[in-house]
Amino acid sequence: MSAVLRIRDLHLRFPLGRSLMDYATGQPGRVVKALNGISLDLIKGEALGVVGESGCGKSTLARCIVRLHAPSEGTIEFESQDIFGDDNRSDRTYNRRVQMMFQDPYSSLNPRMTTGQILAEALSVHNMRPEAEIPARVVELLDLVRLPQDAQHKLPHEFSGGQRQRIAIARALAVEPEVLIADELVSALDVSVQAQVVNLLLELQQELDLTILFVAHDLRLVRHVSNRVAVIYLGRIVEIGDSETLFSAPAHPYSQALLSAAPTLNPDDRGKVARLEGELPSPLNMPSGCPFHVRCHHATDVCKQSVPALLPFEGCGEVACHHVEEINAHA
Amino acid sequence: MGMNNKTPILEIEALNTTFYRNGQALPAVREVSFSVARGEVLGLVGESGSGKSVTLRSIMGLARRYGDVSGQVRWQGRDLVPMPDRELRLIQGREIAMIFQEPMTSLNPLLTIGLQIEENLLAHTNLSRAARRDRAIEMLDLVGIPSAAQRLKDYPHQFSGGMRQRVMIAIALAANPKLLLADEPTTALDVTIQAQILDLILRLAEEMEMGVVLVTHDLGVVAQTCDNVSVMYAGRIVEQGPVRNVLREPRHPYTVGLMRSVPENLPPRTPLYSIQGVPPSLDTLPSGCAFAPRCSACVEACVQGRPDLSRVTDTRHVACFNPVIDAKGNAA
Repeated sequence: MSAVLRIRDLHLRFPLGRSLMDYATGQPGRVVKALNGISLDLIKGEALGVVGESGCGKSTLARCIVRLHAPSEGTIEFESQDIFGDDNRSDRTYNRRVQMMFQDPYSSLNPRMTTGQILAEALSVHNMRPEAEIPARVVELLDLVRLPQDAQHKLPHEFSGGQRQRIAIARALAVEPEVLIADELVSALDVSVQAQVVNLLLELQQELDLTILFVAHDLRLVRHVSNRVAVIYLGRIVEIGDSETLFSAPAHPYSQALLSAAPTLNPDDRGKVARLEGELPSPLNMPSGCPFHVRCHHATDVCKQSVPALLPFEGCGEVACHHVEEINAHA
Repeated sequence: MGMNNKTPILEIEALNTTFYRNGQALPAVREVSFSVARGEVLGLVGESGSGKSVTLRSIMGLARRYGDVSGQVRWQGRDLVPMPDRELRLIQGREIAMIFQEPMTSLNPLLTIGLQIEENLLAHTNLSRAARRDRAIEMLDLVGIPSAAQRLKDYPHQFSGGMRQRVMIAIALAANPKLLLADEPTTALDVTIQAQILDLILRLAEEMEMGVVLVTHDLGVVAQTCDNVSVMYAGRIVEQGPVRNVLREPRHPYTVGLMRSVPENLPPRTPLYSIQGVPPSLDTLPSGCAFAPRCSACVEACVQGRPDLSRVTDTRHVACFNPVIDAKGNAA
């Protein structure tokens, strides 16, 4: 159980700039608090699922990990090195070893480059192979993601969405990474094609001993793919633990509501949903105390005043809730 | 079709919609038939390109400007297909309303939402200005927007995605339609908000005795909201029946495949069932059953000819030469 990535107390704030009104009234500019103290270990060989509503910070977290955003506070360590440390900022080997795959297969591939060129570029940028061996490696990579050899001469628009995501996977794997960050990798695909790509990802993880951070809003998919799951609410982890345990018996009231809102295939489940009232508050106006208290049925005064810490809860991994014991005693 | 004991308000018979590109005919919808009764929620489910949205647009009279629509769309006894635009306009938006997938782009960003609701009332009712305003407030209240009276003068960007979809529903239902066509109304929303919006549609369908045709790609949404379902593939309905029956005992191999592709009640991290290949494009449809090239139960007949949607029980219809017979999904 060694951690590949150690994320500690990660904060990210996006200042919005002061409006004329703000200048006139002497107000400071408004700030979007995207991440509010995320601590997380990504363990070697695991698939860690990240779930939450849109705007909760799950994609921002993924982008921080691949250094597309620099955190306002906190650290991310890879092999005990702070990836945002002055010496390591320009270190390309980190970029090679931690690769990201994006949601939209229509905009993440250069439309003017053939698949072969896309893969060869990745190989030569990171000096993965001598020039002469690159064509052979391209074929190998296509084979790895179950695409035919002649795919290398085609342009992205000649492929379907599912095939494009295979190309994106091949491009990420070209540089032989250890960690894959999959941000909504299959969300844009049809159900029948989704299954093909998910199967491929699971097979490749076994074959290549990959560690995966799987960000997705489809809870059934996350449950299927992940060993562990983190539930994020307004830039904070509210619950984290073993995937099967968390999905079958979520302990945090937000996890409970989120999981029960996902529609199942069983018509007898109608009306069994623990309705969540209201919507995600704006990260511009964070509620005080527990970020979930405004929507929570169990909220009391203490929830309005202090932020609950993420603490181990018996049989459930870690939960950030002041009332986790009472709530789960009733159940 | 007799899918419901109540008398249908909408009956669609052999609907065909064809678009043309560079002189080539693209059969987007073929031989689609179904009916909807008051208060009934019918699901139209399929993957992208299966023709479900075009079916809705053909009912609404929005497709005929861009292609050929034939067949019958009987609305309370009158056929909408040959109806002149002028007459159709008295039904569109007044008796039949439609909501779209993108709550971000289907509202006019330059007009207040109060104006956008009242616009509909002005076109479709004889209410006075004051009555229209009252009705707008009533509608916003009905769809669960807090402090409705104050929010009438707000613009769409001041609402979240879920709230915008509520506004869309308020606009659509302002004139008290008898049928709501909902095209993926919750696809762009989070599951928590999706649950709220689906609840709202169901509640309003019941209270207003309104029929609903709900287009979705999510079988879970169908399971949790619809009374009946039609599964579409490559422009045709391949399976039709009451939701409980269809989802418990799917007969068409495509329906079986769709259901099994959903990771539910499966050991984690095991291979998911996947339908091989990809849906066909409309310009290269096979001459036999369109699903045959991807079908594991494909027999000689499937390549030779196309199966019609035919009755298997009182309420079930399947278009397949070799339908699945047992609950586990094994072919005969």
